Amino acid sequence: MTKQLQKRILIMALLAGELMMKSGAEIYRVEDTITRICKACKIPYVEAFATPTGIFLSLDKGGEDNEMFTFIKRIRGSATDLGKISEINQFSRDFVSTDLSVEDGMARLKQISKRKPYPLGIKLLGAALTCAFFCLMFKGTIQDFVCAFIIGAASYLLSAIFDGFETNYFIKGFCCTAFAAFLALICAASGLGNTSGPTTIGALMLFVPGVAITNAIRDFLAGDMLSGLARTSEAFFIAISLATGAGVVMRLWVLMGGTIL
Amino acid sequence: MTYLWQFIFGLVATVGFAILFHVPKRHIFVASLIGGMGWVVFAYCRSDYGGALLGCFLAACVVGFFAGICSRVFKETATVFTIPGIIPLVPGAGMYYTTLYLISGQLEQAATTGTETLLMAGSISVGLLVVSSFFKIHYTLAGKIKNKFRKKREKCDIMEE
Repeated sequence: MTKQLQKRILIMALLAGELMMKSGAEIYRVEDTITRICKACKIPYVEAFATPTGIFLSLDKGGEDNEMFTFIKRIRGSATDLGKISEINQFSRDFVSTDLSVEDGMARLKQISKRKPYPLGIKLLGAALTCAFFCLMFKGTIQDFVCAFIIGAASYLLSAIFDGFETNYFIKGFCCTAFAAFLALICAASGLGNTSGPTTIGALMLFVPGVAITNAIRDFLAGDMLSGLARTSEAFFIAISLATGAGVVMRLWVLMGGTIL
Repeated sequence: MTYLWQFIFGLVATVGFAILFHVPKRHIFVASLIGGMGWVVFAYCRSDYGGALLGCFLAACVVGFFAGICSRVFKETATVFTIPGIIPLVPGAGMYYTTLYLISGQLEQAATTGTETLLMAGSISVGLLVVSSFFKIHYTLAGKIKNKFRKKREKCDIMEE
């Protein structure tokens, strides 16, 4: 009986950890959540070790007859979803302070995992706003603003399509920025916009690895060197993919006789 | 006046990021206010005071500070406010100009801009680091002082009894 209970607790804690990690939480937060959930179920020995690609967890009730449980969870794919992080944080706080049963906790976690992010239309609007206002921030004109608004939505739509095919992140970043840079150059050349620079910067900002950078720092701060390094290299490779995407298109444009306005 | 416009631009851009990162609806406005403030500090430093590197550092400090306070006030994780607030500072423009110089063969310029871009990312992290360690020290100290008072009070209670 205790064995089964222990197993259920383990599965629930791992699910919570996995959801947080997939939503882009920091390592210490994931480990802390798992440890708190297990401690709340009166398990004295908990050891959690999380990296961006996997969670290792072992539990021991501490008695003579109790066996030790260990579980490894491989994590694939990640998308930033701050709403989920905040909800699971709230969940772990509730779980620790009130006596929620493991079954109820599991049900609530499953509910959180099913929660969808904002619908695609609103996300496209968000992308368009970001792109357009970054264009203004880098001294774009009103015409550029309009172009950037459309280009931002278009390139984000492309990235959403790539997400649907579960493409490699490098290819995704490369293609999306290449597409955006191409559109920006065309807009500038055809006279719809004045300059392509601010528009391209706006589109780059959409895909810039800001979350990876911030999390890398926080992981380093908390002493999780391994994850910090992993995330730094992630950020670095994403940045390279964006720069090459825009660079290749701009280079080809120049080679084919166009000028970069 | 220009900075008021910059603030508004930064604010709306952060709203966009907040939507993309699925910040809970009730926090989008506060998160974007923080993003706008960070951007204004950066924009002011970049053109009028000390340059882009210092700007990144100070802006990251501002974002970290307000995010820390808001996370206390709203009982929410600080990440919800830090990530949308910090992203406008991430040097996308630096990346663009580095690429531009690279493809037009101005290698020296590219090296200068590239290094500056990397340093800017670094100074964002240093800014966040400084503020978050400040918060940590503050909470540890506050906890210790509270404990001390509690112990003293308990002592007094015992003596009174």
